[in-house]
Amino acid sequence: MRLDAKIPAGPLPQKWDRHRFELKLVNPANKRKYDIIVVGTGLAGASASASLAELGYNVKTFCIQDSPRRAHSIAAQGGINAAKNYPNDGDSIWRLFYDTVKGGDFRAREANVYRLAQVSNWIIDQCVAQGVPFAREYGGLLANRSFGGAQLSRTFYARGQTGQQLLLGAYSALMRQVASGKVRMFPRREMLDLVVINGQARGIVARNLVSGEIERHEGHAVVLCTGGYGNVYYLSTNAKACNVTATFRAYKRGACFGNPCFTQIHPTCIPVHGTYQSKLTLMSESLRNDGRVWVPKTPGDQRKPSQIPEAERDYFLERKYPSFGNLVPRDVASRNAKEQCDQGKGVGDTGLAVFLDFSDAIKRDGRAVIEKKYGNLFQMYEKITGEDPYATPMMIYPAVHYTMGGLWVDYNLMSTIDGLYVLGEANFSDHGANRLGASALMQGLADGYFVIPYTIGGYLAGSHFAEVKNDHSAFTDSVKEVQERVTKLLAVRGRRTVDDFHRQLGLVMWDHCGMARTNEGLTTARARIQELRAEFWQNVRVPGTGRDFNQSLEKAGRVADFMEFAELLILDALARQESCGGHFNDAYQTEENEARRDDANFCHAAAWEFTGEGKDPVLHKEPLVFENVHLTQRSYK
Amino acid sequence: MSKTIHLTLKIWRQNGPGDKGRFETHPAKNISTDMSFLEMLDVVNEQLTLEDKEPIAFEHDCREGICGTCGTMVNGRAHGQLKGTTLCQLHMRHFADGDTLVIEPFRARAYPVIKDLVVDRSALDRVIQAGGYISVNTGNAPEANTLPVPQDRAERAMDAAACIGCGACVASCPNASAMLFVSAKVSQLALLPHGRPEAARRALSMVRAMDACGFGNCSNHRECEKTCPKEISIVNIARLNREYFKAAFISQEN
Amino acid sequence: MNWFSAALGSSVGKKLMMALTGLAFIGFLAAHLAGNLTIYGGKAAFNGYAEKLQSLGPLLHLFRAGLITFALVHVLTGLYLFWLNRRARPVGYRMHATAGGRTLSSRTMPYTGIVILVFVIFHLFHFTFVDKTATTVFDMVAAAFNQPAYVLLYAALMIVVGLHVRHGFWSAFQTLGVNHPKVMPTVSAASIAAGAVVALGFGLLPLVIALRY
Ligand SMILES: Cc1cc2nc3c(=O)[nH]c(=O)nc-3n(C[C@H](O)[C@H](O)[C@H](O)COP(=O)(O)OP(=O)(O)OC[C@H]3O[C@@H](n4cnc5c(N)ncnc54)[C@H](O)[C@@H]3O)c2cc1C
Ligand code: HEM
Ligand code: SF4
Ligand code: FES
Repeated sequence: MRLDAKIPAGPLPQKWDRHRFELKLVNPANKRKYDIIVVGTGLAGASASASLAELGYNVKTFCIQDSPRRAHSIAAQGGINAAKNYPNDGDSIWRLFYDTVKGGDFRAREANVYRLAQVSNWIIDQCVAQGVPFAREYGGLLANRSFGGAQLSRTFYARGQTGQQLLLGAYSALMRQVASGKVRMFPRREMLDLVVINGQARGIVARNLVSGEIERHEGHAVVLCTGGYGNVYYLSTNAKACNVTATFRAYKRGACFGNPCFTQIHPTCIPVHGTYQSKLTLMSESLRNDGRVWVPKTPGDQRKPSQIPEAERDYFLERKYPSFGNLVPRDVASRNAKEQCDQGKGVGDTGLAVFLDFSDAIKRDGRAVIEKKYGNLFQMYEKITGEDPYATPMMIYPAVHYTMGGLWVDYNLMSTIDGLYVLGEANFSDHGANRLGASALMQGLADGYFVIPYTIGGYLAGSHFAEVKNDHSAFTDSVKEVQERVTKLLAVRGRRTVDDFHRQLGLVMWDHCGMARTNEGLTTARARIQELRAEFWQNVRVPGTGRDFNQSLEKAGRVADFMEFAELLILDALARQESCGGHFNDAYQTEENEARRDDANFCHAAAWEFTGEGKDPVLHKEPLVFENVHLTQRSYK
Repeated sequence: MSKTIHLTLKIWRQNGPGDKGRFETHPAKNISTDMSFLEMLDVVNEQLTLEDKEPIAFEHDCREGICGTCGTMVNGRAHGQLKGTTLCQLHMRHFADGDTLVIEPFRARAYPVIKDLVVDRSALDRVIQAGGYISVNTGNAPEANTLPVPQDRAERAMDAAACIGCGACVASCPNASAMLFVSAKVSQLALLPHGRPEAARRALSMVRAMDACGFGNCSNHRECEKTCPKEISIVNIARLNREYFKAAFISQEN
Repeated sequence: MNWFSAALGSSVGKKLMMALTGLAFIGFLAAHLAGNLTIYGGKAAFNGYAEKLQSLGPLLHLFRAGLITFALVHVLTGLYLFWLNRRARPVGYRMHATAGGRTLSSRTMPYTGIVILVFVIFHLFHFTFVDKTATTVFDMVAAAFNQPAYVLLYAALMIVVGLHVRHGFWSAFQTLGVNHPKVMPTVSAASIAAGAVVALGFGLLPLVIALRY
């Protein structure tokens, strides 16, 4: 297989314009002859469905939740970036492009990132017109804030609920198209297979989660917007239904998986407090603007924070990174917290937490100021932990948050299967090895509103389609396979629950393939995962039947895929013998403990091709060519 | 500090829409007070699974109070007794050792039960389809700062927009009315200049759609506002009423 | 008139009718109470008020016709809403606790309403549609309230009316869309006051009459 990124020729700023001109167009009257399947209703899926329907295509949209409005994008808090330069602080499309490429540790494709920065401004226009209530200045114009360590204020936000508001905007556009009959909405459906006919993606097989029926849906193209796979770690800040199933099934049908080992760990989450813990809650990064991170100097110090004198505290971020202090990037902050805990200096019942202390800020600015800035976050913290962060320091710990990897796509967002497009967090993305704050929302909406409507037309207009009905043998075979898998899961009737397996898988992944990775650890993890997977198919207990609403069965299918996918993630981590962004291999670090890239050997995107059950996948490499930016080493000292 | 409590759950079990349903009693033993309510149900479900019984079906997704998926009645209160809190954010430290909890699905004619505690709230989507949007095609939007929005108006729009669509307002309302939910969307869009062109049509058709879904009428009991996990105010209902009257009696919209 | 019936036929439209007719009744109650207070002025004053009313002639008939229409609208719509609201939750809760919204008075609106209806009919036959050639209004009322049973009955019923007004008053404002942070606290307080005035104003009269005359 040859990976062709299809990057248009010409100077960077003109590539997208030129490409749009070169793409074939579908005659308006013909658009209604095409059926497009969109899986997922997060920012990417909802925006794509609505935009495609507005153009006149027939769209069928699927999601797992009972309503498209509940997709995981709803949970995003902080904001969305755009290069509007409203604050007049020197921003530009070029700068947003540059920051994103650099933030991604030079592992993203220049042309895609530049396009992302270009369309970012339209996104804001579109969302405002939809009624998204972004924060405003007194004069009534849009407000911006700086976010995630950026030196500019380019983040648009709607309180701490930006993702919710953007998603509700896209959802409302989607609902409008449902009302007009151009979108048929299929909620409570889980895509369990992709149907490929004559090398083209022509449909999906999905389970109706209420009736258990295995349904067939045919179309001329399939657009996957199914989000990230952070839940392979079991505990993450992702919603419980987030899964890898849709993309992994597509991988098994021939779509290459790009950079699966690029995962992001967020430093400020509420720590784990028991084995029963089901998910982790993110506390906005903005807290690090005023909170000071510290641990006791002596390992095993069990005293209450208030009883530990100043001299016996280690403000380790301030100590190690005097210029950035508590505001070092996500990966650096996360790794340092882990390092302290590994040295036995962690705090709390589990020893897996560090303090985030606001007492100095409260002393300096007064409680009222802090309350105004972070009141809702403090409240949320208290709700969950039962502790008052005004009185005692917060405890935080890093948690899995975002996955930069995903299905490999070309400049058109098409995977290695013709007619299979992948948008949003589900693709291997524009974020390289590390995503900057507030840019996932931007990417999801860019893909859905402003990229797919053009690129899919080029494909449809330029391809020949055989007539396909849903009784085609490819559908029948797929349904049979899906059915057999369901039957198999139910038939094991073992002695361990699905969650129990998932939890164990998560622990293995977190311990060996989390913030810092070693070759030995990865090798051990791979073996453990193989064992665990074997045990899963011998010993899992899935109650109930496949013919009705069965949440255990849903989970079991997802965990079964995670079990296989985890191994792919580890293979990728083992293959990438360098450190970059979210992938940190202990063997490759600078003297300052920063990720040390190996641009000579690893300046590429890894794309893994499935070659059959029980066989190792094959690695393809898309070389990344940087013509416009200079590759540098990050430093935050 | 965390401790361990034991509870008795009286839970509604119903195999499917056709089933009559019944209450079942299950013990919830050794529940850490640091658990969330849903984690407590997870623990009970793990136990049921190992005992070869069917686990209790309940809905959830984000588990951080924003997606609006979770929600059941706990001792007669939608999302439990804590103010401004979704069920997933309710922690067990708010219960005492030995408590008996009655757990029922949200009930309304417009919310048929799917299984156990899971109900079908698609009626809320149908109401939005009737007009809970601004008709702007992708690419049609003018520059974002073209229309200024006074900050306090934007804030009030945001107050209304904070609705997570959980449907607890309906569940808690003695009349199973969806007015708070509908009014939140109508208000958000009515407050913003971008939403004004369609305001009349929106108010009329959303109210019509709401009635067609079989929700009850608002008697101003204000249970919704007290229950709402996002503390959406009934000021929005008054605004919906005003928008409706303007639309019905003054505008040319039918 | 199709648009008109459609506008009033929706849930919000029905409530509009309830609010307007309800407020009209509160207006009527206020006038009625003002009239009744003339009883403190003694027999002559009270009979004078009654005669004045009668002398309005056609105006009085118009007024009565209006009241009856309003009553029909309020009662029929109210009962219909009551039925619709019950139907909106066919399977009830085993436990349904309040989060602090409902009040005794909001919860009992349909019931207090029905009681008021029965009472009003009784009241009309008791004092209004009677042959008054042999007596004056004052004597009739005084006679009635010399029977303790009537005093108790009327006093109890006035509490019921007070309850209805206590929720109905502010509720009508909310329904009409008059909910504004600057105004609402006053309206809420006024609602409680209106309920109390109705209950006490009317409710104490029989007692006063019984004791004084
Ligand atoms: C707590 C939190 C805070 C965040 N804050 C920010 C922020 O401030 N700024 C920012 O830019 N980014 C933020 N992010 C990241 C960002 O929210 C996500 O990356 C982004 O929303 C992903 O959108 P999406 O459309 O790709 O997928 P999702 O929103 O995850 O949607 C996935 C959709 O696919 C459907 N689906 C999945 N699998 C299947 C299947 N098998 N069959 C059918 N349907 C399926 C789901 O039902 C859902 O509709 C945050 C993330 C988290 C977890
Ligand atoms: C003295 C007579 C009456 C007065 C002053 C009165 C006043 C009111 C007012 C102001 C309201 C509030 C309307 C709103 O919420 O917008 C109301 C509601 C109501 N009234 Fe009356 N009313 C009277 C008699 C009756 C009668 C005879 C009935 C008969 C059944 C009745 C039944 C109701 C009901 C059911 C409601 C509640 C409607 C709802 O909110 O769903 N009322 N009333
Ligand atoms: S108004 Fe409140 S209770 Fe009702 S759906 Fe919205 S968030 Fe839930
Ligand atoms: S699970 Fe999302 S709000 Fe409770």
